[in-house]
Amino acid sequence: MGLVIAIISGKGGVGKTTASANLALGIAQNGIKCVAVDFDIGQRNLDMILGLENRVVYDMVQVMDKEATLKQALIKSKVSDNLYFLAASQTKDKTALESSKVKELIDELKSEFEYIILDAPAGIESGYEHTIEFADSAIVVVNPEVSSIRDADRAIGILDSKSQKVKDGEEVDKYLIINRINPKMVQSGEMLNSEDILDILNIKLIGKIPEDKGVIDASNQGKPIILDKNSKAAQAYKRVASRMCGEKVDLEDIESQKDGLFSKISGIFK
Amino acid sequence: MFGIFKRKKSAKIAKDRLTIAIMSDRGNGDSYPFIEDMKQEILDVVKKYIEVKNIRIEKEVDADIEALSIDIELDIK
Repeated sequence: MGLVIAIISGKGGVGKTTASANLALGIAQNGIKCVAVDFDIGQRNLDMILGLENRVVYDMVQVMDKEATLKQALIKSKVSDNLYFLAASQTKDKTALESSKVKELIDELKSEFEYIILDAPAGIESGYEHTIEFADSAIVVVNPEVSSIRDADRAIGILDSKSQKVKDGEEVDKYLIINRINPKMVQSGEMLNSEDILDILNIKLIGKIPEDKGVIDASNQGKPIILDKNSKAAQAYKRVASRMCGEKVDLEDIESQKDGLFSKISGIFK
Repeated sequence: MFGIFKRKKSAKIAKDRLTIAIMSDRGNGDSYPFIEDMKQEILDVVKKYIEVKNIRIEKEVDADIEALSIDIELDIK
């Protein structure tokens, strides 16, 4: 039976879809059969990030409504034989989801795949509750910035009260990804560091992703950044994906890292 | 002009503001995480001078005024 992992956030625009695409691909690159499902009904962004927008014929709402089979709707990735993608509906609105149908779809995915990555709508939107309802674990994506962290706390609160696992008396595993870390700003005290964020949110850290201009370039081309061997964000995503696959990979201290000529010079005077 | 040297780092301000905001969101808006420690310290000071039975600290908000009201019940035998 596959493992269902919801990628969630409080507010939108923190890099949730980018994280979903890169982690799903990273898991697939570890030799594990994985599917990425876009649960952000009406928005449909994951297909663009994965570069599969032209291949979408059927979406997940059509599968839930039996207008198409899962096999018809699944799209195989161009870059990994282990990665499949299921698109969000663009025409339906977020109220289109019903618990029983969502459960049926997820159960079917669990019998086909080892890892099921759900790209959730932002925690403050409707449709979020349906995404987390049948998840075994959740990865919360935040930026080191006040509104993102505050809203993440609310999204975690909803997770703790609405998930089926919690209702069954179990616990949903929750992990944090801090995305868009600017090491220089953290060093100068202008950006919250990961310890501060963990103090406030009180959940386990699974990864720190540095700010990386390459992410936009990658999304422009529909090639997830994890494919770029020279990118720091790619290396960070690879480490998170390996941790998700159960490998023991130490957390790298990207916040105190220095790069570029300027910091090398200024480093001399420290 | 010396203000910039004394300015509190904004990451610290962010952490302080978030701590309070999130506590309020979680429904403990009329309390602070340090309240129990503070109670104990006040008790220790007052007890040096007089017997104390109980202490209550409450946050009161009225329009633009925020105050802590501290009630100390004395132990009179």
